Amino acid sequence: MVGSKRWKVGLLYVLAFAVLFVMVFPYLYMVLGSLAPWDEVDRKLIPSSLTLRSYEWLFQGGEDVVPRPWLRAFFNSLLVTSASTLLMLVTAVMVGYALSKVTFKGRQWVNNAILFQMFYPSIILLIPLFLIVRYFGWYNTYWAMILPKAVNLWAIFMYTNFFRSIPDELIEAAKMDGAGHLTIIRRIIWPMSRSITTIIFLFLFMERWVELLWDMLVVNNEKMLTLNVLLAQMFGPYGGYPGPMYAASVLLTLPILILFILFSKNFKEGMQFILK
Amino acid sequence: MNKHTAKVGWLLASPYLIYSAIFFLIPLFWALYLAFTNWNLISPEYETVGVQNFIDALFSPSVRAAFWVTYKFMLMFVPIVIAGSLILALIIHHLPRWKGLFAVGYFLPYLASGVASAIVVKGVISYNSPFNQFLRDVFGLDIDWLGSPTLAALVIVLMMAWKFVGYYALLFLSGLESIPKEVYEAAEIDGAVGWKRVWHVTIPMLYPSFYTVTILAVGLMFGIFTEPYVLTGGGPEYATHTWQLEIYNQAFEKLNAGYGTAVAIINSIVTFASIFIFRKLLEKWGGRHGWE
Repeated sequence: MVGSKRWKVGLLYVLAFAVLFVMVFPYLYMVLGSLAPWDEVDRKLIPSSLTLRSYEWLFQGGEDVVPRPWLRAFFNSLLVTSASTLLMLVTAVMVGYALSKVTFKGRQWVNNAILFQMFYPSIILLIPLFLIVRYFGWYNTYWAMILPKAVNLWAIFMYTNFFRSIPDELIEAAKMDGAGHLTIIRRIIWPMSRSITTIIFLFLFMERWVELLWDMLVVNNEKMLTLNVLLAQMFGPYGGYPGPMYAASVLLTLPILILFILFSKNFKEGMQFILK
Repeated sequence: MNKHTAKVGWLLASPYLIYSAIFFLIPLFWALYLAFTNWNLISPEYETVGVQNFIDALFSPSVRAAFWVTYKFMLMFVPIVIAGSLILALIIHHLPRWKGLFAVGYFLPYLASGVASAIVVKGVISYNSPFNQFLRDVFGLDIDWLGSPTLAALVIVLMMAWKFVGYYALLFLSGLESIPKEVYEAAEIDGAVGWKRVWHVTIPMLYPSFYTVTILAVGLMFGIFTEPYVLTGGGPEYATHTWQLEIYNQAFEKLNAGYGTAVAIINSIVTFASIFIFRKLLEKWGGRHGWE
């Protein structure tokens, strides 16, 4: 009986590792492809030697005829994503606090408006949003990529629900001590929501980082492109240079992966709240 | 509740209110107007054309293609992703140790940019790739993956499934963890063990997770853009031509802003109707198992 159980557990682990391999394989393939000699990329699964040629070629601007600003694109992605994510996080905490801990007339109305908006199909807004951005003169600027993505309804919704679970007594006690709302947010609310904040931050950052359609529409100046857009544009033209394309993919994947690994300690706890 | 708190409340909520006025309400009404015009995104002159855009859309081969492609994707994606994520959840749930580690590992694909995964997929299925060489040498199969409509659609669907299966597994996992031990004990007394137990106890008890995952998966199929845009461009023969691709093409490639908006509105109506039907079907199925 014990023997058969052990055998079953062993089989389960074999299965678990096999699945893990399938999930991680594309990442491995990408890294190996970026480091392989150019005549072995997409020809051999395991390269015979490793080289940084693809990365060097990429950082020098790629093809000589029309050099592309790959590093600049990486910087653009970082700037746009960080600014946008920070704004989404700060506004979500503010609005979430207002909707859960400040009683004011019209609060329920705002709550309902947010719910309605969350389920409203955003695709209808795409074309007019583009027109608004162009009207404001933001076409080809960072503002076009940051401001229309400065508020996130899902994040507001999550924070509102989470703050509701923080007891009102804590806030009342702080008010007795003369603390204002901003102090309460900074000293009580913010430290208490660390685990959910890491998950919300991760999701917002990741979704912003991999955005393609919007960033593609509002920018056509090569210097302003995000890495994701530049990579999508070069997909066809760089068809003959798979090695550098893998190197750029690694560049595109690494920041999110690093963030995720840094935050994975809080992952399960935070996800449990989000999936509820 | 006094005047001061009311002010603070509105002040703290103001980022949302300002944002929504500019980036939600104005585009909302603008869209409703645009859909009835023939504007081409550039010229200063245009006129209202009534419901002509909607009529044109209903008879357009590319809109019809997007309509059917979405259901074709759904037919493949929903069963694959549900079976896959359920199996992953069951694996994680039954592991005695390292549950969190595997859950995190299975979630990794969700972090990938669709562009990066399209590059990898393109490499893996390229003519001289180790994978295709293996298929040729061992099975004598010479497959043009993106040349065949069915296979191209399957490739896109599998990419989506790879990305989302670990995420949906977390939903099933939290469902599995919420099943009380007593239910299993009672089932054991009734003689339900092994696969019988999975089939007759676990799966019906997981109904809320099935419901959520199915609705999410169905909704997802209406919002695909990156993968086909980069990898197939919607082809071959419109086989991977999604709604978002159609709207993007019409509005920003062919510059039919009015028509594109009309297609977006049709897309939203189709999405709502489809999700509504799926909800009703699921609720019917759940009702038979005692879920309301």
